[in-house]
Amino acid sequence: MTATIVVNGIAERLSFAPGDMLADVLRAAGHVEVKKGCDTGNCGACTVLVDGTPVLSCAFLAARAEGKAVTTVQGVEKEAARFAAFLGAEGADQCGFCAPGFALTVIALSREIQNPTDEQIKAYLSGNLCRCTGYESQHRAVRRFLEATHARH
Amino acid sequence: MEIGNLARPTDLDAALELIRKERGVAVGGGLWLRMSSKPMGLAVDLGGLGLDYIRDSGGDIEIGAMTPFRRLETSALLAERFGAFFRDAVGGVVGVQFRNMATVGGTVAGRYAFAGLNAALLALGAKVVLRGEGTKDFASFLSEPRNESFLVEKVLLPSGCRAGYASVGLTEGDFRILIAAAAFVGGSWRVVVGARPGAARLCDTATKELGSDAKPSGAAIEKAAVAAAAEAAFADDLRSSAEYRREVCPVLVRRAVSEALK
Repeated sequence: MTATIVVNGIAERLSFAPGDMLADVLRAAGHVEVKKGCDTGNCGACTVLVDGTPVLSCAFLAARAEGKAVTTVQGVEKEAARFAAFLGAEGADQCGFCAPGFALTVIALSREIQNPTDEQIKAYLSGNLCRCTGYESQHRAVRRFLEATHARH
Repeated sequence: MEIGNLARPTDLDAALELIRKERGVAVGGGLWLRMSSKPMGLAVDLGGLGLDYIRDSGGDIEIGAMTPFRRLETSALLAERFGAFFRDAVGGVVGVQFRNMATVGGTVAGRYAFAGLNAALLALGAKVVLRGEGTKDFASFLSEPRNESFLVEKVLLPSGCRAGYASVGLTEGDFRILIAAAAFVGGSWRVVVGARPGAARLCDTATKELGSDAKPSGAAIEKAAVAAAAEAAFADDLRSSAEYRREVCPVLVRRAVSEALK
């Protein structure tokens, strides 16, 4: 089957099998910034935004993305780079495999909840697993990024 | 998961026909697809049926089958009518991305024993509307075996009530080891214990101990908590022993009732 999916603002006509998941279809189309971690809908590495909502692309039927706006980390490159600077400053990035999905969830959080509490940050990011950092440094980076984002607006 | 054909109906009756006559398999949130190795000849995507809503129908609260968990936990209407009940019941499920995909209908249709949502709906005395079959009591729906294919259209809740939820798990986002939910609805209490690890069940004796007093005494709550642990059947699984579940049960029932009374 074929479907038109708007990926990072550009409409792409993509072909795939009926049971293919969005992560596989995006990667096959060259969007390899979408990472596959657990491939069972648990680790959050494959997070993309569909019409602005964070979802697990490894468990999201590609057919369901027809006509929708899909955002990978490349589609929010400047914002993600700004967040990455905070990750770096806190020593919160090691292998980096989880970073694209993590950055997208943080960006979704910044858009959805104004001035979140520490508990809200932890709850919102609980679906993004990282096997390197132990989360504390990431949490500091997210907090500082959100404070800086809030101050800019 | 191998899917031969994927149908994307926009009409409920057309979807039901595909499920019944063409032996199609309904796909709600689709989160289990990745973990299944069973080939599916025809998958019926329910995403185009307009079943993503939470609304006040004037008597009941209606929740469409394709409403994602995340909407339950952030709904101003549900918070106004049931306090933190839904946020507590679904807010810890995996992560935000998962909860943006997991649906009410998928959880109800699967009658998942581990699901906090099913325990919560049972405590509220919810009803489930099956397309072409009408409205059924959720308690009967959970316990009766079904041979024929069906399509969950929506869930009906009372317009609002005091309700409390408590659970325990190995980690925050993991499957629950035990769940307790309590609600004061229609002039009497309902106490439910779920993740036993069997399906959620109404505890009749505990329910009777709490009676019809909107503010039961501490002694009545204690009796109900002990009664729930005595009447519910518990079993072992890889997360917990039956013995642990039985010990923890009164604590969770007390907490659920206390939450409801806040």
